[in-house]
Amino acid sequence: MAENLIQLLEGSTLNIWILSTAWLWPLLEMLHFVGLSLLLGAMLVIDIRLAGFVQKMHIRTTHDLLPVAGIGFLINTVTGVLFFVGDPARYTINVGFQIKMLLVLIAGLNALWFAIKINPEMHRWNPYADTNIAAKTVAYVSLVAWFGVLLLGRLIPYVSTG
Amino acid sequence: MFEWLEYSSLSIWVGESLWGYPIMLSLHAIGLAIVVGIFTMFNFRVLGLFESIEYSAFVDFFKLAWWGLLINTGSGVALFCSQATFYVTNTPFLVKISSIIIGSIIAFRIQSSLQLNAEKWDSKVTEPGSKDYLFAQSSLLLWACAIFGGRLIAYL
Repeated sequence: MAENLIQLLEGSTLNIWILSTAWLWPLLEMLHFVGLSLLLGAMLVIDIRLAGFVQKMHIRTTHDLLPVAGIGFLINTVTGVLFFVGDPARYTINVGFQIKMLLVLIAGLNALWFAIKINPEMHRWNPYADTNIAAKTVAYVSLVAWFGVLLLGRLIPYVSTG
Repeated sequence: MFEWLEYSSLSIWVGESLWGYPIMLSLHAIGLAIVVGIFTMFNFRVLGLFESIEYSAFVDFFKLAWWGLLINTGSGVALFCSQATFYVTNTPFLVKISSIIIGSIIAFRIQSSLQLNAEKWDSKVTEPGSKDYLFAQSSLLLWACAIFGGRLIAYL
């Protein structure tokens, strides 16, 4: 399957454009870092409050940061897909990239769990108090997953292929 | 002086050991997300986003942001020392380091203003003034320049 994907992408119009446009790769990297700052900045504030810290912050006001996290994620999905299309053979076989994508999936499922199970009951909580164990678990899984994504992304050039 | 730095034992570990360089790069990325992330959220707040979030909540997050800056000063010094003679003549690096120095001074000013005014802003007695808006805009611009400079070090 991986070989088919690589064959499909290598030599495609988009692949050739990315590889032949010298300024594009550094521009994508700059945007990818802006995106990560928005995503992780917003998630850091949301998850730290959800984990029960900074109790003087009304817990449901952190929801206002979700659009910023969403925009960060969108920027990084677009730039990330372009990196992948530009060099599919390198990313597909890279263990760092594989674990990174797995962590993005875990973070996504964790966010889905939050939306279905935690969020609907939040209006019943005292907004200026500690949070329950289910909320704390979601918060720590989210922090570990997103910072893991950051870490693995940074290590892609240094880990071996698998 | 910069050549001497490259021969210090820290520089040699970062530059030549298998994991020294990637460990420092990883710490640098984590610190970046903490510092830039938190100050960016606060700057957006001052400039009119997420109006339901109380200003006083950010007082605690700023403490975390300074830890992020500390991580990045440490890892940044280690990365710098490993190739000091290259960095001192690299234009993107000089843009980056200038942005960080000015950005940190402004972050300090932002924090002073926040500590003084958070409660008054939250209770709507006063609101952020033109100086606070200017600090927020400059802060966003400077952290962006720091990121752009950092990314371009490898290319220019």
